[in-house]
Order: sequence, then C-alpha cells, then structure tokens
Amino acid sequence: MLNMFTLVLQIAVVLAVCRLVGTLFLKIHQPRVVGEMFAGIMLGPSLLGLIAPQLSSFVFPPSSLGFLNALSQIGVIVFMFLVGLGINPKELKSQGHAAVLTSHVSITAPFVLASFLAIYLYPRLSDSSVPFSSFALFMGASMSITAFPVLARILTERDMLQSRLGTVAIACAAVDDVTGWCILAYIVLLIRSAHTGNPIWLTVGGLIAFALIMIYGMQRLLRHFETVYHKRAALTDNAMALMLLLALVSALCTEWLGIHLLFGSFLMGAIMPKEQKFVRYVLDRFEPIVVTLLLPLFFAFTGLRTNIGLVRGREMWMYCGLIILVATTGKLGGSMLASWWTGMPAREAAGLGTLMNTRGLMELVILNIGLDIKVISPALFSMMVLMALTTTFMTSPVLEVICPQKMLRSETEAATREQLTVGQQLGLNPVGD
Amino acid sequence: MTHSNKNFVLAYLVLVALPVLGLVGVLRSGRNLVAPESVGGSWKIQADSTKLAALPCGVPLATGSDAGFTISQSGKNFTMNFTNSPMSVSSGEIQELSVKATILPSAGWAKTPGCGNGRALSLIATLDPKASPPSLAGTLSVNDCPTCVSVDFRAVQMDQAKAKGGR
Repeated sequence: MLNMFTLVLQIAVVLAVCRLVGTLFLKIHQPRVVGEMFAGIMLGPSLLGLIAPQLSSFVFPPSSLGFLNALSQIGVIVFMFLVGLGINPKELKSQGHAAVLTSHVSITAPFVLASFLAIYLYPRLSDSSVPFSSFALFMGASMSITAFPVLARILTERDMLQSRLGTVAIACAAVDDVTGWCILAYIVLLIRSAHTGNPIWLTVGGLIAFALIMIYGMQRLLRHFETVYHKRAALTDNAMALMLLLALVSALCTEWLGIHLLFGSFLMGAIMPKEQKFVRYVLDRFEPIVVTLLLPLFFAFTGLRTNIGLVRGREMWMYCGLIILVATTGKLGGSMLASWWTGMPAREAAGLGTLMNTRGLMELVILNIGLDIKVISPALFSMMVLMALTTTFMTSPVLEVICPQKMLRSETEAATREQLTVGQQLGLNPVGD
Repeated sequence: MTHSNKNFVLAYLVLVALPVLGLVGVLRSGRNLVAPESVGGSWKIQADSTKLAALPCGVPLATGSDAGFTISQSGKNFTMNFTNSPMSVSSGEIQELSVKATILPSAGWAKTPGCGNGRALSLIATLDPKASPPSLAGTLSVNDCPTCVSVDFRAVQMDQAKAKGGR
C-alpha cells in the first residue's frame, strides 16, 4: 500500500543528496548530471545500505520502491521525448563523409568488441535462461550508445558547440542514439516475443506500420505546434499538455506493440519539428521539472538496484576493468580512428573520440531496461553502471588534456568570424538576432 | 571516383563492413557456449515445518504460508533472500546442477533469541531444471553442529525464470 510519508521522505532525501553532490561535482568541472548519477549510487546498497543498513531500510524499504520506480519511469518517458526532440539527424548530412564514417564506426567498433567480450563473459556472468545472441547484442548496443544530452551539456559548458569538433560530435551522437535505440528495440522485441509466444513478424509489422504512420502522418500534424509557436511566440498550456499526451500515447503504443514505453516517447520527440527556437522553447518548458525532480528519482532508483558489493574478488574486478577497457577502446578508439582516417588532425580526432565515449544517463536508461528484461545479471548491471560512470566522468578531464579550452576558444572565434564574414557578404543578420 | 571518395569507400569497408562480418561470426560461434544453469527467481520451500522451526531463525520459515526464498543470480554466483525470515546469504554458488550456499542471519538479527547466536546454515541441493516447474532438492543444516538437526527440503520455482532472456 502507498505510504505517502515514506514516498515524500524518499523524494526529499533524493533531491537533497542529488543537489548537494551535483553542486560538488560542478566545482570539480564535471556536469551536474554526473554528480547526480554518483548520488544515486551513494543512496543504494553500495554505500548507504552498507554503512547504515537500518537507515537505508527506513528510508527505502523494499516494499515502497515500486512507487519510486513509477515516478522515475514517468520522468524517463518525458526525458526520452526531450532527447528525441533535441536530436536532429539531418545535421549529419551537413558534416559530410567524415561525420558519416565516424558515426557508423563509433557504433560498429564498440558493438563488435563488446560482442567479442560477450564470448568471455557469457559463461561467467550470465545463465542458461539467457540466449547468447540476446546477451551479445545487448552488450553491443549498451556499449555503442553516446549520451547525447550529457554531451550537449559538456560542449555548451566548454563553449565548444560552434567548433568543428563540437558540431561533428553532436551530429555523430544523434545518429548513434537513433541507431542504438533501433538495435535495442530489436533486442527487446526478440526477447519479449519469445516470452509471449507472439510471432515476431506480427510485432515487426506492427512497429513498421506505427513508425510509418508517425513519420508520414503524425509529423505533418505536429508542424502545427511550430506554426502556432511562430504566430504567438509561445504555446498555450493546452498545447503543452497535448504534446505531453501525444508522447504518452506513443509510449503506450510501443509498449502495446511489444517493445518498451521509452521507444514511443523517443520516437514522438524525434519526429517533432526541429526549428531551433521552437525546440529550445519546448525544452525550457519541460526540462525544469524533469531534470530537477524526476531524473534524480531515476538516478536514485538505479542506485538502489546497483550493488557494487556484488563485484567482489579479483576476478570480478577484472571483468569490470575489461568492460571499461573494451567500452573505451571501442568508442574512443573507433571514433578517433575513423575521424583521423578521413583527414581530421590527430589531436582533434582524439578529442572527438573522448566526447563520443560519454555514456552518462542514456547508458543507465538502457541498463535498466536490460535488468528489467533480465538479459543482464545484477552483478553485470553493477559493472556496466561503473563503466557508464567512469566513461562519463573521464570525458571532461581527458578532453581538457587533449583539447584545452584555450585552443578550442580560438578555433570557435575563428569559426564565428568566418560565419559573420560570409553572412555580411550575403547580407544576412548574425545568427540569433 | 575521386581520391577522397575512394578513401571513404575503403575506410567504410575496413572499419564498418569487416567488423559487421566479425559480429556475424561471433554470434554464430557463441551459440555453442554454455552458461551456468539458471536458478534465479522466487522459490517456495516444501519441508517438515517442525524441523524447519528448529533451525536458527527458522520459526518464521516454518509458520509462514509462503515460506521460500528469492535468488538473484550472476553467473555461477548468487545471493539469496528468505521471505519471512531474517536470514541472508553471503555467498552461494552453482556448479552444473549442484547448488551450495552459506546462509547467515542478517546483521540486526544475529543476536536475536532463536537465531542460533548468529550461527550459519548450509544449503546443499541439486537442481532439476527439466522438471516443470524447475525444482531444488537437498538439505539445510547448521554449520559446525553435528548434533543439530538437518532438514531435507524441496523447493519449486514460483515465477517461471524461463521467461528470462527469452528462452
């Protein structure tokens, strides 16, 4: 039964700890979200449960976690809508061959390396109820993801969004996320269809029909939001509610079709109009409640499922180290190699690889799906969470070493000067006016 | 075809197409891999309730109508939590069909009367994965206590762990 006192206490504790740790992380030049991810782990059995088990079971009794999970899932559904909204794969086209190759290699390299690692880990960290193909594909998909929102935040904080490195990284991350989620949808589909006994072709057919309706039917209707926004420079509360409702209905459709709620909300966001001011406006309306209140609950729930105590003994820590090594080699190394091959200077290519290695929150979302459908074990989940934290945490300091802000600032200024010159020649106003 | 286009095609073949072929190979070769038998999920214990009650912290196990345990498995290792009982497992392991675990009263309960002054239990059982539902049969005994009673038990899987991972 719902105990409101416990739930409100949990929300209060989570908010306080996440804000505090997030602020501390800002002081060490890490995005706040990384601190919040760490805060979530601290509230779980890995720290609070270990040092104060009675306090932990008072604040987070196992029987109450269903409500915390429900709230956090609502937050992730809306968050995935916002991620889809922020992604514009068309940006990749403007980046040319180099970005296309880098993007594709940044998916295939970690994917294939992870599947090789799966051969080693499957007999050690999985069990006979999980088919090897599901295990290997999940490992691949989870290692090939890039945290688009965290990446965008790092680039903004470092004033890199307008640099060549920043634009290529954002474009590649957008493609990575779309591809990663498509692969994950396929894996969830395989696993769930085997469980329910429904023929896979029926689900695939339904999903293709749904995607076509969304892209060729719904997308046209969604343009009205943009039109109204341009007329009034704002959207009414009813329009915002309708937008949210559409995201929820889309989420329900994909869940009903046999994949997962999150795919539907992501798809709805992805087909929304992509005009910059409109996107910014919608993000500004939704982000405060999602980022401030609901995502910390998701971090806490993830932390409560993460038990670093399960990674015990030299052997288990070696597996964890291998996972981090393979994830980093595949993503950082793959992206770096591809961009260097297509003519990017080695230092910039290394910077791009480092940026692409940011997994952050998106990784946690995927890992939670993997644990829910039981394709990964609790110990492997904990190791992968550590991998997500490590790869995200290392981005800012490694980037500072490879591409110091001074170097990028001069490049950004040069790019802005060039844009202004071209704009003046064409008689255009500067961007943003 | 220009030099840059040739370079792009070559890079695409080496860095994308070849790895994808490698992935196909991995998925094929991995089919023959064998992972430890699955014991994850909820299990219901069937045993002599008088003997169960005589075990350290065994009274709740013997009196509850839904006495059982939940196993959380990671490879050959697992953790086990008893429903209705303040017992917890520090470690458990499955080797082929043989299941072994050491069960300890959780921290707050170790000194509670009837909990054997923190004495550990041993669980030794054999898994029958082909039974429907899968079952465990074995004994629960008190560690370092030859005079203590050991309890034969049978446990059946409550949630079909076969739903896991799609097999």
